[in-house]
Amino acid sequence: MASVSPRLLDAIGTLVRLGLAAVWLVAGGIKAADLNQNYLAVKAYRVLPDAWVSPVSAAQPFVELALGVLLLLGIGVRAVSVLSAVLLLLFIAGVAQSWARGLTIDCGCFGGGGQVSASQTRYPQEIARDVGFLALAVWLAVRPRTWLSVDGWLRRDQHALVDVPEDAGDADGGTEEEPASPARAQEGR
Amino acid sequence: MGGAQRNARKQKQKQTQAAKAVAAARGTSNDRAKVIVGVIVVVVLAAAVVGGVLYQKNKANQRAEATIAPKHVAAANYPVRVDNGTVLAGKEDAKITVDLYEDFLCPVCGQFEKRDGDKIQQQLNAGTVKFRYHIIDLLNDRSNPPGYSQAAGNAALCAAEGGKFPDYHLSLYDAQPQEGGRGYDNVQLGGLGKALGMGDAFTNCVNSGKYSGQVQQQYDAASSNPALQQDTGQGGKAFGTPTVAVNGKTLNWSDPNWLDNLVKTGTAG
Repeated sequence: MASVSPRLLDAIGTLVRLGLAAVWLVAGGIKAADLNQNYLAVKAYRVLPDAWVSPVSAAQPFVELALGVLLLLGIGVRAVSVLSAVLLLLFIAGVAQSWARGLTIDCGCFGGGGQVSASQTRYPQEIARDVGFLALAVWLAVRPRTWLSVDGWLRRDQHALVDVPEDAGDADGGTEEEPASPARAQEGR
Repeated sequence: MGGAQRNARKQKQKQTQAAKAVAAARGTSNDRAKVIVGVIVVVVLAAAVVGGVLYQKNKANQRAEATIAPKHVAAANYPVRVDNGTVLAGKEDAKITVDLYEDFLCPVCGQFEKRDGDKIQQQLNAGTVKFRYHIIDLLNDRSNPPGYSQAAGNAALCAAEGGKFPDYHLSLYDAQPQEGGRGYDNVQLGGLGKALGMGDAFTNCVNSGKYSGQVQQQYDAASSNPALQQDTGQGGKAFGTPTVAVNGKTLNWSDPNWLDNLVKTGTAG
């Protein structure tokens, strides 16, 4: 990573963050608009015990929306990305088990869902799409730094507070370029 | 020189100490920011879970309090009776008998009723066609909680017993619940019967599930009958609702003139 300009990585990360936010907002929004359909979609996976289908199908769209909003604003990007990755892994596992068990369902990833005829299943495409989204989440979990984020704003805020004595002391050997992670701040002393 | 060096070293030490203090200070303020962010993330996600579940509960509660509005078909002057788990409607001397397979939760059955309900009533009153309703619970697990299809089917047979089938049938389709949503329970199904003028016998019939077993049997019989399988449009064949059959042969009801043609030709064609 060191050979690539951090600014470029920040730019890519920002796009990745907004992209994943859009995925969650769209997916969650469509589901939240038709909770009855989502109940059928969740039920069709035949994974959850009957008593869990209803609450899970009710909460899931709003969790997706919440992840989308947090990513859009850039709040806790690393944690939210890890949670996104976990959720996506669960979705991939859900689709994979349906495929393996010979169920014929639509994943209901972006609305819809439930039973479909055997010729209408699209398991490979659905898994591939989720793996793509998972890649976005993993990027952000590994390198959560992006532009236009609340996280960044909080970091800059602290940096401004401590920069003044640091500059006066000039003890830092010019690491100002990277307004930095906690590890950075403490190293080399 | 020596003094200056010592001074410089002292100066340097002071700076290092200051830097350490800064680093420590930055560490704690960074921790605080992390805590704030963590709290926001947890609170937002918890609110999403709790909010979603409560929102759905609230919607279900509203549906539970709803009453099914009683609707009346235009003067029905034909006999209706329960016949071996089906509802047989129409005058005895009607030459044509149409078998209808339907599920009260099935949205297409609702559309079918809306489009053709009046025409069917006309033919029943005219005495040209008898209709045998096979009320089945194909979609019994598609309500939340499951069971509406069967409960509604049972209640409809109870209504046939109580002499109010045409009104009851129309009312249920008029207030049809959505798939995946809450259906009506026996209290609501019983309430509709009362609103249509039926008494305790109906309520007891609904609550005891007198015809539930027969609704299920009708479904088993229909879904395992190869003559009732139809193209799904995606290469497969399957039984679905609504299905319309005459003399054991399915009929293409998606043609809006199917009933007129049937009356004209007297056969399923």
